[in-house]
Amino acid sequence: MRLPIQMTRVALMAAIAFSGAAWGQDAIGFVKTVSGDATVTDGGKAIKAVAGTPIRLKSVLKTGAKGAMGVTFKDNSVMSFGPDTEVTVDEYLYAPAKGDLKFGASMSKGALNVVSGAIAKLKPEAVSLKTPTGTIGIRGTNFAVKIEPQ
Amino acid sequence: MKVETSMKQSRGIVILIGVVVAQLATGCATPPPPPAPPPPKLVSYAVLLDNLDGSVGAITFSSPKGLIAVDRSKNAVNLDGATAPYTQDDSIIQKDFGAAIAVRPQPPAIFLLYFESGGAQLTAESQALIAKMVADAAKRPAADVSVVGHTDTEGDAEANEKLGLQRAQTVAQLISGAGLKAIETTVTSHGERDLLVKTPDNTAEPKNRRVEVTIR
Repeated sequence: MRLPIQMTRVALMAAIAFSGAAWGQDAIGFVKTVSGDATVTDGGKAIKAVAGTPIRLKSVLKTGAKGAMGVTFKDNSVMSFGPDTEVTVDEYLYAPAKGDLKFGASMSKGALNVVSGAIAKLKPEAVSLKTPTGTIGIRGTNFAVKIEPQ
Repeated sequence: MKVETSMKQSRGIVILIGVVVAQLATGCATPPPPPAPPPPKLVSYAVLLDNLDGSVGAITFSSPKGLIAVDRSKNAVNLDGATAPYTQDDSIIQKDFGAAIAVRPQPPAIFLLYFESGGAQLTAESQALIAKMVADAAKRPAADVSVVGHTDTEGDAEANEKLGLQRAQTVAQLISGAGLKAIETTVTSHGERDLLVKTPDNTAEPKNRRVEVTIR
């Protein structure tokens, strides 16, 4: 009897360790809306986006040729994607009580609408969206970006 | 052997000339169609839109060519960094961003709940907000919720961290007990570090004794 219990415990610990590795870290936002094809890629592994799919640091968010997707981040920033759009979350820190605030993303192509959230309100200089030709700075606002293929 | 080779070559040349002549002849008979108009130039740009409350913020674009600031509604800046800002047509904004705007999630809702002094007992008014929060979350796809507890500066900071957490836990239990469905609920305390109304230490302030619930 003793052995199986210990084995179960080991298996449980392994499962915790594995899930820790698979999930990487806490969600920084969630997919809320999807139309057509959209994916979220973490650590090179793409999964089909649905309402509730978590977004993590370094996630790559992508829509297909007829896809669209909406995402809400923990600081209440909202991003919505038109077709054939790709954005990577490079940096995200949201701990307002400690003053840790940072939101850096890069967009390589497509059409994106951004409604900035608490990070842009508390520390505008901590928010940026990189594009292939330069960087967009945000001062608490609703804006949209279109990037044509090079 | 030599003669045969040169005859083959000359025959080849004759055939080649024939083909060229034939092509010239057909070219004369049907004039080539006029060249197609060049495709419209595709421009990468950022455009400032009205905020959801009707105000307008600002964006900047910085590139090796310098920094361009835009602070008027529908003002656009091309991402070549070399064009002056201009007003973008509504029809072009709609064509380029209509699909993205159509799936934009609704803005998160923030509810503030207040407490009687010293404990984790909600005021009667705040108690009434519980049902509203449940209804709000039910309208959202995959709602996620943050519950953050705050205190005033009465008592010591460490005790207030705990009190803030206790208040947040009370609210988290109330909303979940009332049937609020969330894919994730995070419960944290900011203690007395994040005052809504700035006060000196050891000051009772009802507006600071609060829990902030954000439904996304």
